[in-house]
Amino acid sequence: MNEATLQKVKERLKALKKLPGIGEKDFSKLLEDNGFTRRDFLKWSAAMAVMLGLPTSFTPLIAEAAEVSDRLPVIWLNLAECTGCSESLLRSDAPTFDNLIFNYINLQYHETVMAAAGWQAEENLKEGMEKFKGRYILCVEGGVPTKMDGSFLTLGPHAETGLELIKRASDDAAAIISVGTCSSFGGIQAAAPNPTGSKGVYQVINKNVINVPGCPPSAKNIVGTILYVILFGQLPAVDNFNRPKFAYGLRIHDLCERRGRFDAGEFVEEFGDQGAKDGFCLYKVGCKGPYTFNNCSRERFNQHTSWPVQAGHGCIGCSEPDFWDSMSPYEEPLANKKYDSVVADATADSYGVTILTVAGVAIAAHAALSAMKNPKE
Amino acid sequence: MKINKKIINKIEGEATLKITGEEKVEFAEIEFWQYHGIENYLKNRNYMDALVVNPRVCGICGHSHLHATAKVIEKVFDAEISRKAEIFRTVTTFLEIIENHIKWFYITIYPSQIKDKEFIFKAVRFSSKISKAIAILAGQFPHNSYIIPGGVTCDPTYMELMRLTDLIKEILDDYLSEIMDESLNSEDLEKFFENLPKDIGKGLNRFLVLGGNEFFKTNGELQKVTEEKNSSLSKNALYNNEFYEVGPLARMIENKDLNIIKIYNEYSDSIYTRMLARVYEPVYLLKNILTLLKEADLCEPSFIKPSVRDGKASVAIEAPRGSLIHEINIVNEKINNYNIIVPTQFNLASSKQKPSPAQAALIGNSVKYIDPIFKCFDICAVCMSH
Repeated sequence: MNEATLQKVKERLKALKKLPGIGEKDFSKLLEDNGFTRRDFLKWSAAMAVMLGLPTSFTPLIAEAAEVSDRLPVIWLNLAECTGCSESLLRSDAPTFDNLIFNYINLQYHETVMAAAGWQAEENLKEGMEKFKGRYILCVEGGVPTKMDGSFLTLGPHAETGLELIKRASDDAAAIISVGTCSSFGGIQAAAPNPTGSKGVYQVINKNVINVPGCPPSAKNIVGTILYVILFGQLPAVDNFNRPKFAYGLRIHDLCERRGRFDAGEFVEEFGDQGAKDGFCLYKVGCKGPYTFNNCSRERFNQHTSWPVQAGHGCIGCSEPDFWDSMSPYEEPLANKKYDSVVADATADSYGVTILTVAGVAIAAHAALSAMKNPKE
Repeated sequence: MKINKKIINKIEGEATLKITGEEKVEFAEIEFWQYHGIENYLKNRNYMDALVVNPRVCGICGHSHLHATAKVIEKVFDAEISRKAEIFRTVTTFLEIIENHIKWFYITIYPSQIKDKEFIFKAVRFSSKISKAIAILAGQFPHNSYIIPGGVTCDPTYMELMRLTDLIKEILDDYLSEIMDESLNSEDLEKFFENLPKDIGKGLNRFLVLGGNEFFKTNGELQKVTEEKNSSLSKNALYNNEFYEVGPLARMIENKDLNIIKIYNEYSDSIYTRMLARVYEPVYLLKNILTLLKEADLCEPSFIKPSVRDGKASVAIEAPRGSLIHEINIVNEKINNYNIIVPTQFNLASSKQKPSPAQAALIGNSVKYIDPIFKCFDICAVCMSH
C-alpha cells in the first residue's frame, strides 16, 4: 500500500466528515455507554485492518471510517429469505464493535429492525432513496423470485414485486452488496427444481454487485465489506464469483484446525467413533472445506466462540454457488457422488499421507486421483 | 362496507390484514403473500439433505426445524439416542426459544408502544450471550448442523460444559434482574401497558401442546391435526377440525404453572396474559437448562448409528411459537414426501366461517390496538410461507 493510497483514503474520510451524521450521540459517548474503552476500539480497528488485508498503518483510518460510518446511509432490503443474515449480523453477535458500528450506522431502511411499519415504512424507503440518491449503500438479503414476473414475492402496500423493488433501488445506489447466499446466488429458493425461479441479485440487474455469501455469512465479512466501501469509496477486490478476496481468498480447509489430522491421514470414519472424539478430520463424513472459499476457520462465529467444524460436523459449503445441489449429500465426501462410486474415495487415507510428501498439491490432485478407479500409490 | 387494508411488517416478513369496520374491528382476515416452497426442494433428495435444507425455513427458529427433522428421521429408523445427546439437543432448542422471546419482546412488539433504541440494544446484549451459549455446543448460531439422526456431532469436555453452565447462570441472573423476576414483576412489561388496556385481545381460550417432553405437558394427538387452504398463499392448521392457540401461553397453562394461572384467572387469555407467559417462559427454561446440564454424563456416546430403513413418520416438538410438526416419507433412502406444519399456521390461520385465535383476538377491539394485538402472537411470515 503506497503513500498515495493512504492519502486518497485520508481525503475521502475528510470529505465524509463534512457530511452531516445521524448519530444522536457522539461516538465516544456511545462507546462509553456500552462499556468499551477507546483502547478496545483501537484493538478492534487493528483486527479489522488485518482482516481487510491492510497494513497496520491503516488502523487509525479504520477507526476514523467507523466513526464516520453514519454519514453514508445504508438501505437494507429483505427479499426471499429467512432473516438468518440479519440474525447473524444484528443480533446474534456480541455487542462487539461490529455490531455497535452497525447499530450506529445510518440505517435508513431495514424491514425487520426499523420502528416504522406499513405505509410509514414505505414512505421512509422512498425518502431515503430520494434524499441520498446516488450515495446510499444498498444491502440485499434474500433471493429474487423471477418466475411469473416475480409475483412469488410481493412487498409493501403497493404489492410491489421483489424484482421491481430491486431494480428500482439499485438504480441510484452507490454500491450494492448481496448479503448471504440467497441474494448472492439465489440460495435455498434456487435449489432444484427452483419453483419460484429465484436468482441472485447480480443476475437480475445490470450493475456491479459485491457478493458476501454464506448461510449465514459472519458479521465480520458484512461489516468488513461496508467499511471497505466507506474507506475507499470503491468496491473491494473480488474473485470470479464477485466475493471480496479479503474474506473469501482462502479455502476453509487451508486454515482448518483439523488440517493436521487430514495431512496425517487421520479421519473420522463415522460420527461418534473414536476419531470423532479425538477431533480427527471430517472429510470422510462429508466436510466440504476443501471446496469452499470462506474464512470461517479463521474468524469463527458468535464472538469467536466456535464454528461447525469445531462442533464436529463438516462444512456444508454454504458460501459456494448452488451448494444446495452441488454439495449434497452433505454427510458424504463429494467424490462419492461425482463419480457415483463408493470406492472412489478409498484414496482419502493414502491421499492424506501423500499430501505430506507432496505438500502444496491441493484437492485438484485429489479429484484427479479419485477419478481413477484404481489409483497407484 | 369499507374494507381497510393494513400491512403489518417487522415480523420477519409481511402480512396483510383485511379489516372490516371503522372504529371497531368487525371482522379481520389475515393474508400472507409470499411463497417459498421448501417442501418441493426436498422431494427425491437424500433424507440427510433435509437436515441442511429445513433449518432454512427460518433464520429465527431454524434450530427447532433442525431438531424436528432429526427426530422425524429417527422415528422412521426407530433409532435410539443417548441421554447425553438428548440433553444437548433440548438445551440448545430451549436456548433458541429464550433468545426468540427476548428478541420478539424488545424488537418486534415493544416499538409498537415505546420507540426507544435502547431496548433494541438490550435485546442484542442478551441474544448475543445466548447465541454464544448455543455456539459452545452447536458451533454457531443461526444455522448450525450439529444435530444428526442418532445423536449429536459435538463431543464437549467438562471444560466446555463448565463454561456453558457459567454462561447460563450469568444469563439467568441478568434476566431476573433486568427483564422479569421470579414473582413475575417486570418493569419493562408494565411500561409497555402504560397506555394500553390489559384485557384486550382475547383469543379462543382453547390451547394445544403437541410436542411435549419432560418439561412441557402434551394435551393432544398428532393424528388429529389437519391442514386446509385459505384465501392467500398460506395454509390453516386445525386440530379436531377446530382452531387452537399454540405457544408459550398454551404451554404454561397446560403445565398448570401457578404464576400464570393466577394472571389467567384475572385477565383470561388477553394480550397481557399472552405476553406475560412469553416473557416468563425464559425464566422457567433457564432454570431447567441448569438442571439438565448437571445431569449430563459426558462418558455416554454422542452418536449411536441408526439402521437405515424406509417408512413414514411424523413428530411434533415445541418451537418458540408453539408446536412444530414435521412429517416424512422415506423410500429407498430418498425423500418421497415431506410436510412441515408450523405453529403460526395454528395461531394465524384465517377463515371466513370461524375465526382463528388471532382473528378472534382482533375482532371486537378498537382499530388502534391492531398492531400490538396482532404482534402478541409472535408472527413469523417466513415460517408461514415455507
